[in-house]
Amino acid sequence: MNEAYRTTKIKTAQINQALGVFIFTFGIIITIAMVFTETFVQQMTDLFAGLVLMGIGGGMLWKSKQTLKKYKEAN
Amino acid sequence: MLSGIDYFIVIAYIVGMLLLGLYFKKFVSSSEDYFLGGKSLPFWAIGMSIVVSDIGALDFVGVSGQAYRYGIAVGNFDWVGSVPAMLLAAFIFIPYFWRGGMYTIPEYLGRRYNKSVRTIASATWILFFALDLGVLFWASAVLLNVLMGWPIWISILSTAGVVGLYTYFGGITAVIMTDVVQMIIMFIGGFALVFLSLDAVGGWENMVEKIGAMGPEYQSHFDIIRPIDTKSPFPWTGILFGLTFVMANAYMIGNQSIVQRCLTAKNEWHAKASMIFGSALKMFIPILVLFPGLMAVVVHPNLADGDQALPMMIKTILPPGLVGLMFAAFFAGLMSSVDSLLNSTATLFTKDIYEPFIKKNADDQHYLKVGQITTLVLLGLGVATAPMSSDFPGIYVAIQTFMSYFQGPLFAILLLGIFWKRSTQWGGLSALVIGIGFAIFLNVFKAGFFTIEDPFLYISWWSFLLAFIINVVVSLMTKKHTKAELDGLVFSSKILTQTSSINKTL
Repeated sequence: MNEAYRTTKIKTAQINQALGVFIFTFGIIITIAMVFTETFVQQMTDLFAGLVLMGIGGGMLWKSKQTLKKYKEAN
Repeated sequence: MLSGIDYFIVIAYIVGMLLLGLYFKKFVSSSEDYFLGGKSLPFWAIGMSIVVSDIGALDFVGVSGQAYRYGIAVGNFDWVGSVPAMLLAAFIFIPYFWRGGMYTIPEYLGRRYNKSVRTIASATWILFFALDLGVLFWASAVLLNVLMGWPIWISILSTAGVVGLYTYFGGITAVIMTDVVQMIIMFIGGFALVFLSLDAVGGWENMVEKIGAMGPEYQSHFDIIRPIDTKSPFPWTGILFGLTFVMANAYMIGNQSIVQRCLTAKNEWHAKASMIFGSALKMFIPILVLFPGLMAVVVHPNLADGDQALPMMIKTILPPGLVGLMFAAFFAGLMSSVDSLLNSTATLFTKDIYEPFIKKNADDQHYLKVGQITTLVLLGLGVATAPMSSDFPGIYVAIQTFMSYFQGPLFAILLLGIFWKRSTQWGGLSALVIGIGFAIFLNVFKAGFFTIEDPFLYISWWSFLLAFIINVVVSLMTKKHTKAELDGLVFSSKILTQTSSINKTL
């Protein structure tokens, strides 16, 4: 594994971490927004959209944490 | 007007985008980082970025407006008008640009033809992008005006402030990575709108029945292929020749803001894969942008301006929370389109105009600074030209009109440059100049040549054809390039099978 490859991997992981935090936080806000809706369909749409965002954001956070651990330890 | 939670979601989104974009400042230390993201980005991020910068705010408002006025024929722009061209770009054109270590499309044209071709092509793109920025800012004003009641200038200035800051500091890495978030938000918000809109109109079949019963002008709303004598801007001949053969290829292969993204890839495989992944995502776009416009025909049948269809649907169909999400999605698209144009234009100016003509051989930090300052100047220009867009009947048509001036001739010289070794510098130059002049002539005197409402597809086709013929004729009469001059610039079947040496190092 050369240095350029390791640096690129760390950079990508740091980017994913930042994106993950943003998307996950936004997912929480959308899920909370279901409190303000009126019908069941609206509530479920908010809930589903929020959970999808949290799933994507959480996945990115988890993956970036794994990558950072692996490549920083390899230093 | 937005409710409290929607305001909060929109404000949180805008502030979050700003912080996220500013975070990427840490990855910018050279001009290559600023313009090409240090050539280190993955295919999935670039693919999402290509799609979101293409569909952006204009498609959400403009295509929904066109669907409201003319029906599903406008969907051709995202199906036959994108996917085949993206695959062609991935396998044939991107490898040449990537292996050549290029920053811009005009840089390729400069190496293949001459410096004049490079400068004219670059200046034309810069002009187009600057005008495009104005249209984008106007699109934001239309939406903000309907949803939030903000004055036009306040909405234009607030958009410019947020996007300008993160693009100025973070360069193309900030542009691409904020695009990734924006695409996810746009897809989720868009699908939520489609789902609830379908629920509101009583399902697809009910909507088709209601639109069909509204009168003779709605009878062809569900015809994807329109006859030659249609009054809409989408006759099948225009779609086939103007869109599929010329504009789609010119846009996906010759558009700086699209191709520049591929050049940020960490290797050639990722560069090609980004286009292929983007084309897969592109197939979903008509569902997101077209359906709300169609459903608005049933929900709001008497809108004076088709471009109001989407804002009105958001306002009346979506519940609290989702209005904020959808508005954030729309704003996301707008910001994405604006940041792409800002960064691409800064790249074109710095690399094709400033470096060769104003200050050669300066240090890298100097060019980085020039790119950043250009971004700020463009922002001011875009804000100042925004009111021009209000004179056009549809925002999307306005963009296509600007593009039809030069997309055809530019694609003609790009195509012959890659595939025909005999094409010479004088052939390329004369084709570009005469082709653009001819497109402007056709646009000015369109009433005398065409019967349809807006003939931008025909204009791009005829200007492409003329430029193609002129390039061939002039090239045959002038001195051909040597084999050494064409090395790595013209098509060889090896490009399909060989992997670049740079790939092997990563």
